[in-house]
Amino acid sequence: MTAEYLLLMGACVVITLPLEFLLCARVYRRPRRLLLAVLPLLVIFYVWDAVAIARGHWDYSPAHTTGWLLPASVPVEEAVFFVVIPLCGLLTFEAVGRMLARSARPRSRKSPSLPKFREQARVPGANRGGRGAPDA
Amino acid sequence: MPEYTLATLVAVVVVVAVELLWARTGIFGTAQYWVTMAIVFLFQVLVDGWLTKLNEPIVRYAPAQFAGIRFPFDIPIEDFGFGFALVTGTIIAWQLAGRKETA
Repeated sequence: MTAEYLLLMGACVVITLPLEFLLCARVYRRPRRLLLAVLPLLVIFYVWDAVAIARGHWDYSPAHTTGWLLPASVPVEEAVFFVVIPLCGLLTFEAVGRMLARSARPRSRKSPSLPKFREQARVPGANRGGRGAPDA
Repeated sequence: MPEYTLATLVAVVVVVAVELLWARTGIFGTAQYWVTMAIVFLFQVLVDGWLTKLNEPIVRYAPAQFAGIRFPFDIPIEDFGFGFALVTGTIIAWQLAGRKETA
Protein backbone atom coordinates (compact mmCIF):
# COMPACT_ATOMS: atom_id res chain seq x y z
CA MET A 1 0.00 0.00 0.00
CA THR A 2 1.64 3.21 -1.18
CA ALA A 3 0.11 5.28 1.61
CA GLU A 4 1.60 3.07 4.31
CA TYR A 5 4.37 5.41 5.44
CA LEU A 6 1.98 8.38 5.54
CA LEU A 7 -0.61 6.34 7.45
CA LEU A 8 2.04 5.38 10.00
CA MET A 9 2.78 9.08 10.52
CA GLY A 10 -0.94 9.80 10.79
CA ALA A 11 -1.20 7.12 13.47
CA CYS A 12 1.57 8.85 15.45
CA VAL A 13 -0.38 12.12 15.34
CA VAL A 14 -3.63 10.47 16.43
CA ILE A 15 -2.05 8.43 19.23
CA THR A 16 -0.39 11.51 20.75
CA LEU A 17 -3.48 13.77 20.55
CA PRO A 18 -4.62 12.83 24.09
CA LEU A 19 -1.36 14.25 25.42
CA GLU A 20 -2.50 17.66 24.25
CA PHE A 21 -6.13 17.43 25.20
CA LEU A 22 -6.23 15.12 28.23
CA LEU A 23 -2.83 15.74 29.81
CA CYS A 24 -2.74 19.45 28.86
CA ALA A 25 0.61 19.38 27.06
CA ARG A 26 -0.29 22.68 25.38
CA VAL A 27 2.03 22.20 22.41
CA TYR A 28 -0.45 22.76 19.58
CA ARG A 29 -1.76 25.73 21.52
CA ARG A 30 1.62 27.46 21.36
CA PRO A 31 2.02 27.52 17.57
CA ARG A 32 4.75 30.15 17.43
CA ARG A 33 6.96 28.33 19.89
CA LEU A 34 6.17 25.04 18.13
CA LEU A 35 7.26 26.49 14.80
CA LEU A 36 10.49 27.84 16.29
CA ALA A 37 11.24 24.41 17.74
CA VAL A 38 10.39 22.30 14.71
CA LEU A 39 11.61 24.41 11.79
CA PRO A 40 15.38 24.43 12.45
CA LEU A 41 15.48 20.65 12.96
CA LEU A 42 13.29 20.12 9.89
CA VAL A 43 15.81 22.04 7.78
CA ILE A 44 18.86 20.26 9.22
CA PHE A 45 17.40 16.76 8.96
CA TYR A 46 15.98 17.47 5.50
CA VAL A 47 19.50 18.28 4.33
CA TRP A 48 20.87 15.18 6.07
CA ASP A 49 18.21 13.07 4.37
CA ALA A 50 18.90 14.62 0.96
CA VAL A 51 22.64 13.94 1.28
CA ALA A 52 22.03 10.38 2.55
CA ILE A 53 19.71 9.65 -0.37
CA ALA A 54 22.17 11.15 -2.86
CA ARG A 55 25.03 9.10 -1.40
CA GLY A 56 22.97 5.94 -1.35
CA HIS A 57 22.76 5.41 2.40
CA TRP A 58 19.13 4.41 2.08
CA ASP A 59 16.14 4.53 -0.23
CA TYR A 60 12.40 4.03 0.02
CA SER A 61 10.22 1.16 -1.07
CA PRO A 62 8.05 2.35 -3.97
CA ALA A 63 5.40 -0.12 -2.79
CA HIS A 64 4.99 1.64 0.57
CA THR A 65 5.48 5.31 -0.32
CA THR A 66 3.47 7.68 -2.49
CA GLY A 67 6.36 8.50 -4.80
CA TRP A 68 5.74 12.22 -4.29
CA LEU A 69 9.18 13.79 -4.17
CA LEU A 70 10.22 17.15 -2.76
CA PRO A 71 13.38 19.02 -3.85
CA ALA A 72 16.58 16.91 -3.76
CA SER A 73 14.52 13.72 -4.19
CA VAL A 74 13.34 13.67 -0.58
CA PRO A 75 10.01 11.81 -0.31
CA VAL A 76 7.17 13.91 1.08
CA GLU A 77 6.83 11.25 3.81
CA GLU A 78 10.26 12.15 5.16
CA ALA A 79 9.38 15.83 5.53
CA VAL A 80 6.21 14.73 7.33
CA PHE A 81 8.34 12.48 9.57
CA PHE A 82 10.58 15.43 10.51
CA VAL A 83 7.50 17.35 11.66
CA VAL A 84 5.50 14.54 13.25
CA ILE A 85 8.25 12.88 15.31
CA PRO A 86 9.50 16.13 16.90
CA LEU A 87 5.87 17.03 17.57
CA CYS A 88 5.33 13.69 19.34
CA GLY A 89 8.54 14.29 21.30
CA LEU A 90 7.40 17.73 22.44
CA LEU A 91 3.94 16.46 23.40
CA THR A 92 5.60 13.75 25.47
CA PHE A 93 8.04 16.23 27.03
CA GLU A 94 5.28 18.64 28.05
CA ALA A 95 2.92 15.90 29.24
CA VAL A 96 5.70 14.33 31.33
CA GLY A 97 6.45 17.79 32.74
CA ARG A 98 2.80 18.18 33.76
CA MET A 99 2.69 14.76 35.38
CA LEU A 100 5.90 15.31 37.33
CA ALA A 101 4.75 18.73 38.49
CA ARG A 102 1.42 17.27 39.55
CA SER A 103 2.98 14.46 41.57
CA ALA A 104 5.48 16.84 43.18
CA ARG A 105 2.72 19.16 44.33
CA PRO A 106 1.96 18.72 48.04
CA ARG A 107 -1.00 16.46 48.78
CA SER A 108 -4.26 18.31 49.25
CA ARG A 109 -4.43 18.99 52.99
CA LYS A 110 -5.53 16.16 55.26
CA SER A 111 -8.82 15.10 53.80
CA PRO A 112 -8.52 11.51 52.69
CA SER A 113 -12.22 11.32 51.93
CA LEU A 114 -13.29 12.80 48.64
CA PRO A 115 -10.30 15.08 48.23
CA LYS A 116 -11.30 16.00 44.70
CA PHE A 117 -14.76 17.19 45.63
CA ARG A 118 -13.48 19.21 48.54
CA GLU A 119 -10.81 20.80 46.39
CA GLN A 120 -13.33 21.81 43.78
CA ALA A 121 -15.79 23.05 46.37
CA ARG A 122 -13.15 25.23 47.92
CA VAL A 123 -11.99 26.88 44.71
CA PRO A 124 -14.69 26.70 42.10
CA GLY A 125 -13.32 26.65 38.57
CA ALA A 126 -9.74 26.30 39.75
CA ASN A 127 -9.07 23.67 37.15
CA ARG A 128 -9.98 26.08 34.41
CA GLY A 129 -7.70 29.03 34.85
CA GLY A 130 -5.46 27.87 37.62
CA ARG A 131 -3.56 25.36 35.61
CA GLY A 132 -2.87 27.75 32.76
CA ALA A 133 0.08 29.43 34.43
CA PRO A 134 2.15 31.74 32.29
CA ASP A 135 2.85 30.40 28.83
CA ALA A 136 6.47 29.36 28.70
CA MET B 1 33.67 3.78 9.32
CA PRO B 2 30.38 3.52 7.38
CA GLU B 3 29.01 6.95 6.51
CA TYR B 4 25.66 6.63 8.28
CA THR B 5 27.45 5.47 11.44
CA LEU B 6 29.79 8.45 11.27
CA ALA B 7 26.98 10.91 10.50
CA THR B 8 25.00 9.62 13.48
CA LEU B 9 27.94 9.93 15.87
CA VAL B 10 28.61 13.47 14.66
CA ALA B 11 24.93 14.40 15.08
CA VAL B 12 24.82 13.12 18.66
CA VAL B 13 28.04 14.92 19.59
CA VAL B 14 26.87 18.15 17.95
CA VAL B 15 23.51 18.11 19.76
CA VAL B 16 25.13 17.42 23.14
CA ALA B 17 27.74 20.13 22.49
CA VAL B 18 25.08 22.65 21.44
CA GLU B 19 23.23 22.02 24.71
CA LEU B 20 26.26 22.08 27.00
CA LEU B 21 28.22 24.89 25.37
CA TRP B 22 25.62 27.20 23.91
CA ALA B 23 21.92 26.60 24.61
CA ARG B 24 22.37 25.56 28.27
CA THR B 25 18.69 24.82 28.78
CA GLY B 26 19.63 22.37 31.53
CA ILE B 27 17.42 19.56 30.20
CA PHE B 28 20.10 16.90 30.76
CA GLY B 29 19.74 17.48 34.49
CA THR B 30 15.97 16.99 34.57
CA ALA B 31 13.83 13.90 35.12
CA GLN B 32 11.37 15.42 32.65
CA TYR B 33 13.86 15.04 29.80
CA TRP B 34 15.04 11.51 30.65
CA VAL B 35 11.55 10.14 31.24
CA THR B 36 10.56 11.69 27.90
CA MET B 37 13.49 10.02 26.14
CA ALA B 38 12.63 6.65 27.66
CA ILE B 39 9.07 6.94 26.34
CA VAL B 40 10.28 8.20 22.95
CA PHE B 41 12.70 5.28 22.77
CA LEU B 42 9.93 2.75 23.38
CA PHE B 43 7.77 4.24 20.66
CA GLN B 44 10.70 4.54 18.30
CA VAL B 45 11.20 0.79 18.58
CA LEU B 46 7.61 0.31 17.40
CA VAL B 47 7.52 2.92 14.62
CA ASP B 48 11.09 2.43 13.41
CA GLY B 49 10.70 -1.31 13.72
CA TRP B 50 7.78 -1.06 11.30
CA LEU B 51 9.72 1.20 8.90
CA THR B 52 12.78 -1.05 8.79
CA LYS B 53 11.39 -4.59 9.08
CA LEU B 54 13.35 -6.70 6.64
CA ASN B 55 10.37 -8.49 5.19
CA GLU B 56 8.68 -5.55 3.47
CA PRO B 57 10.84 -2.61 4.58
CA ILE B 58 9.64 0.94 3.95
CA VAL B 59 13.14 2.38 4.35
CA ARG B 60 15.90 0.26 2.81
CA TYR B 61 19.45 0.68 4.07
CA ALA B 62 22.55 0.09 1.99
CA PRO B 63 24.47 -2.60 3.91
CA ALA B 64 27.81 -0.88 3.27
CA GLN B 65 26.67 2.43 4.77
CA PHE B 66 25.80 1.35 8.32
CA ALA B 67 27.52 -0.80 10.93
CA GLY B 68 25.38 -3.80 10.08
CA ILE B 69 23.92 -4.28 13.55
CA ARG B 70 20.15 -4.37 13.56
CA PHE B 71 18.59 -4.34 17.03
CA PRO B 72 15.92 -4.59 18.29
CA PHE B 73 13.85 -6.11 15.49
CA ASP B 74 15.56 -5.04 12.25
CA ILE B 75 16.38 -1.48 13.28
CA PRO B 76 19.90 -0.31 12.36
CA ILE B 77 21.30 0.87 15.70
CA GLU B 78 22.35 4.15 14.09
CA ASP B 79 18.66 5.07 13.94
CA PHE B 80 18.66 5.56 17.71
CA GLY B 81 21.37 8.20 17.42
CA PHE B 82 19.38 9.78 14.61
CA GLY B 83 16.24 9.81 16.76
CA PHE B 84 18.11 11.07 19.83
CA ALA B 85 19.54 13.97 17.85
CA LEU B 86 16.20 14.85 16.26
CA VAL B 87 14.12 14.77 19.44
CA THR B 88 16.75 16.24 21.77
CA GLY B 89 17.49 19.01 19.27
CA THR B 90 13.79 19.81 19.07
CA ILE B 91 13.41 19.92 22.86
CA ILE B 92 16.42 22.26 23.12
CA ALA B 93 14.92 24.56 20.46
CA TRP B 94 11.54 24.39 22.25
CA GLN B 95 13.13 25.42 25.53
CA LEU B 96 15.05 28.25 23.86
CA ALA B 97 11.88 29.49 22.15
CA GLY B 98 10.07 29.36 25.48
CA ARG B 99 12.81 31.34 27.14
CA LYS B 100 12.40 34.04 24.53
CA GLU B 101 8.63 34.09 24.99
CA THR B 102 8.85 34.82 28.70
CA ALA B 103 11.74 37.27 28.39
